[in-house]
Amino acid sequence: MAKSSKSRSVEKGGGHWIEWLTGSVSAIGVIVLIGWVSFEAATQSDGAPDLSVQTISSANRDGGYLVMFDVENAADQTAADVVVRGEVISGNTVVETVEITLDYVPMHSRTRAGLIFRNDPKGRSRIFATGFSEP
Amino acid sequence: MAIDQTRVDFDHRRFTKGLARGLAGALLFALPMFLTMEMWELGLYIDRSRLLLLLLVNIPLLILLARRIGFENVATWHEAVRDASIAYFLGLLASAFVLSAIGVLSVEQAMPEAAGMIAIQTVPASIGALLGRSELGRRDDDNDDEDAQDPVDDDTQTGYGSELFMMAVGALFLGLNVAPTEEMILISFKMSPWHAIALIIASIVLMHGFVYALSFLGGHELEEGTPVWHALIRFTLPGYAVAFAISFFCLWTFHRLDGIELTQAIMSTVVLAFPSSIGAAAARLIL
Repeated sequence: MAKSSKSRSVEKGGGHWIEWLTGSVSAIGVIVLIGWVSFEAATQSDGAPDLSVQTISSANRDGGYLVMFDVENAADQTAADVVVRGEVISGNTVVETVEITLDYVPMHSRTRAGLIFRNDPKGRSRIFATGFSEP
Repeated sequence: MAIDQTRVDFDHRRFTKGLARGLAGALLFALPMFLTMEMWELGLYIDRSRLLLLLLVNIPLLILLARRIGFENVATWHEAVRDASIAYFLGLLASAFVLSAIGVLSVEQAMPEAAGMIAIQTVPASIGALLGRSELGRRDDDNDDEDAQDPVDDDTQTGYGSELFMMAVGALFLGLNVAPTEEMILISFKMSPWHAIALIIASIVLMHGFVYALSFLGGHELEEGTPVWHALIRFTLPGYAVAFAISFFCLWTFHRLDGIELTQAIMSTVVLAFPSSIGAAAARLIL
């Protein structure tokens, strides 16, 4: 690999032991990588995304009541455009509804987001996913 | 080289030309990133410690790169540091200028916001500036100097470490261009693991083919009687490992792996490692 003449360079036949060591470690790494992905491919199921919502924290802010939550996807399929709705309930009536759309909730992963309520949601709110699309 | 002599030889025209080439290189190489929406947004929300790490990693990278392919007479580490600093600053100037020119940066913007947006673009722009100063300037009036220097270069060129380093630069270069885009993770969500395996094998075959099989100018040949798999083990597979590691670092830096499970993170990295590995192979030919 000559700098300015750009001639074709010739690799030496033998090679230093460091080259072989690096090469072997890399080869093992690539084999492990392919093996891991193959294992996943063999064991993966085609089930639809399995979404659940856990509330992390809620706090009173100037703009309203902020509720942070995680959406977790327990399935092997990624969900896109996940719509999450939060409701504040008083008795049997829904006082307030807020909604957010999350871009992605990848498989076996969680995505954090927040909803802002105008009414105090403490003890009388529910947050749930209402739908998604396949990416 | 004596200092007096440098002063006598100092050519203002040549120096200005070098700076202009650096700016041109920064624009040429980093323009796709300047015009990428995700990069502007990243400047706002990127975790500042990750941004700092990226900015710090860029310093030794530029110095090594300057030493390896440096413009003019980079004979000492001292000069390599000088060239790297100039390239870093040119990258900063280029990103501040372009982001202002396209209206992404405005005067009313808060300082941390603007600083983040400029800083994140500075990294690819500075690599571009350094490559621009050497690559763009190589073909005309500098030929005499370069020929005179060739014996020195040949020593460093054959180094295994520098070969891997050039692959890392190439991988970073092409990888950085696409890593911030949403497509990288979207593709990995659409792919099945079988697609990922096919992509890994395709990346390695393409890398090997780029350097050894296709007779590109600057390509590599094996010494007579050496089996093909020797080069595969010694150069191509380490190259892929480097490209994979660089891809993982880019995705992590750009918050694409946050909250994502390991297998999914590996799949995203495999997607990014595809362009990165081609960048790595191309770097062996071009640089």
